Amino acid sequence: MRRELAGDVGRAKEMDETVSEFFRRTILKIPMTEMMTILKTWNFLSENQLQTVNFRQRKESLVQDLVLLCEENRASLKDAALLDIIYTQFHRHQKVWDVFQMSKGPGEDIDLFDMEQFKSSFKKILKRALKNVTVSFRDAEENAVWIRIAWGTQYRKPNQYKPAYVVYYSQTPYAFTSSSQLKSNLPLLGQALTIASKHHQIVKMDLRSRYLDSLKAIVFKQYNQTFETHNSTTPLQERSLGLDINMDSRIIHENKIEKERVQRVTQEIFGDYPQPRLEFAQYKLETKFKSDLNGGILAEREEPLRCLVKFSSPHLLEALKSLAPAGIADAPLSPLLTCIPNKGMNYFKIRDK
Amino acid sequence: MELANTLSQDGESRRGVLAHLERLETQVSRCRKKLEEPQSAQAVESALGTRIHELRRLRDKLRAEVKQHQARVKASTTNVEPDQTLEITEQEFLKRKRENVKAILQAYRFTGISGKLTSRGVCVCIGTAFEGNLLDSYFVDLVMQKPPQIHHHSIPVFIPLEEISAKYLQTNIQHFLFTLCEYLNAYSGRKYQADRLQSDFAAFLAGPLQRNSLCNLLSFTYKAEPEGQSFPFCARLLYKDLTTTLPTDVTVTYQGTDALSTTREEQRAAHENLFFTKPLHQVFTSFASKGDKLDMSLVS
Repeated sequence: MRRELAGDVGRAKEMDETVSEFFRRTILKIPMTEMMTILKTWNFLSENQLQTVNFRQRKESLVQDLVLLCEENRASLKDAALLDIIYTQFHRHQKVWDVFQMSKGPGEDIDLFDMEQFKSSFKKILKRALKNVTVSFRDAEENAVWIRIAWGTQYRKPNQYKPAYVVYYSQTPYAFTSSSQLKSNLPLLGQALTIASKHHQIVKMDLRSRYLDSLKAIVFKQYNQTFETHNSTTPLQERSLGLDINMDSRIIHENKIEKERVQRVTQEIFGDYPQPRLEFAQYKLETKFKSDLNGGILAEREEPLRCLVKFSSPHLLEALKSLAPAGIADAPLSPLLTCIPNKGMNYFKIRDK
Repeated sequence: MELANTLSQDGESRRGVLAHLERLETQVSRCRKKLEEPQSAQAVESALGTRIHELRRLRDKLRAEVKQHQARVKASTTNVEPDQTLEITEQEFLKRKRENVKAILQAYRFTGISGKLTSRGVCVCIGTAFEGNLLDSYFVDLVMQKPPQIHHHSIPVFIPLEEISAKYLQTNIQHFLFTLCEYLNAYSGRKYQADRLQSDFAAFLAGPLQRNSLCNLLSFTYKAEPEGQSFPFCARLLYKDLTTTLPTDVTVTYQGTDALSTTREEQRAAHENLFFTKPLHQVFTSFASKGDKLDMSLVS
């Protein structure tokens, strides 16, 4: 009996080393300013235990103390994965998110989505295909779920340091995934999502950004939420047209009419609401050369030219909105630029018709 | 010769035809002047006369207007309470009338469907309610072109808006709005019941309430009495009809290993029936009130 116990302890210690290292690295990632909030959200260490820790010491020592507490509580890989999810939820901008759209067949029954069924089905599909995979779930607001997947192979244990994340809002056709390093697992992930959520097909949208909430606003069409009602107190005409009313009356704007037209057109296209946040728009052009001048080497070229145009900005759509009023571009802007939120695309392939 | 002699009687005696002609000319011009003077004077006179008439007319018109205005003011002051000594100007009267109309337009939202005309069409507001409680409002901004289109909206993404608009928007806008209203009201009602259960009857639940976006699948473990010896039941409510607030499928199961006593079985069946017929939170309200009675039955 004693021998068995010793063996158990030995085995437990072995498991703990990789897990405690995972704990150490995960907790070390957390900025000191957020440490308390994240630990409380995690709710694995009790209030009393947290009080025994000195949060003013150096970070390395603090992390050591916290890892010891986790070991005391017999923390498992599952708990560590949950902490990792919470960290990622707080730092969602550190990942780049893709959007997938699922579809059902025609005439499908009403979607009676059961979260527990979804989770078990999703996990089962992945585990059946890949023996070594860690799947963790955390419920989020608005009936959504965050899924963390650590991929392994037939012979290697899952790599806990390069997980993929999926955010899925129940009874919607959209799923948001963090770009996984291991692209080969993407089809399997798509399959698991589709089957577990009772859809038939899954397609990757040409939409990508760091700002998960903006992606959600775009595909759920939630970015324009100003509506004209009789209850609204601010009349629409009070919007200033960008021209300073207090300016000296001796100064006349020569192109006032044009300025007002530009403001009006910009407002019609972009609206009064804050634009969803994207960092870039990319246009892959495969078009034949077009020139007004006759002749020239390129004019006779049969093959289309290939080039890539990329617009980058800390806030692309706000930047585009300010182009015409700033006088940098003509209003209205090209529909290729203004269709981005409407079409839910920021990757375009343009070919000759 | 006679002519010359007669003319010589008029003052200067001049001789000759030319002199005579001269005298005639001056006579004519004198006569002409005499004739013109009263004419120009007359013209001036008549001009002044017409001006006087005009001014008199204008004066009479203004007098009439003032009288009219005073009469109107008197009429409106008679409608005001007698102890109000303030004089309400016409502007204030119109302002009050406008505010009144505005208030009526604002109150329209309590009818469930109301709208406001926009430059492109109409912005419809669908208000939802359940059991007399006002719940969320949702908006659909419509572009009234030849095929009507939705410009933007605040309908949740899990409501089948595309399906409904594909069926009805082009052909019958009224039906489109009523169907949407049905779906939204039912969703709001189901959500209200689930929220009430979670917040007001948490003591009866043995675990978290499982729900989804549409609130059309609810799964929970509960006890009919929060304290006491009762065994927990598992309830699973399915709402297959998205336009209703009562479930279409109910299964209540017992979570224990030993067989159910007949009283327990009766209770289980009764609960199933309750969930079918009453809104969720009302079922639990009845549990709360029946608490004492059930205890008595257990003791006996």
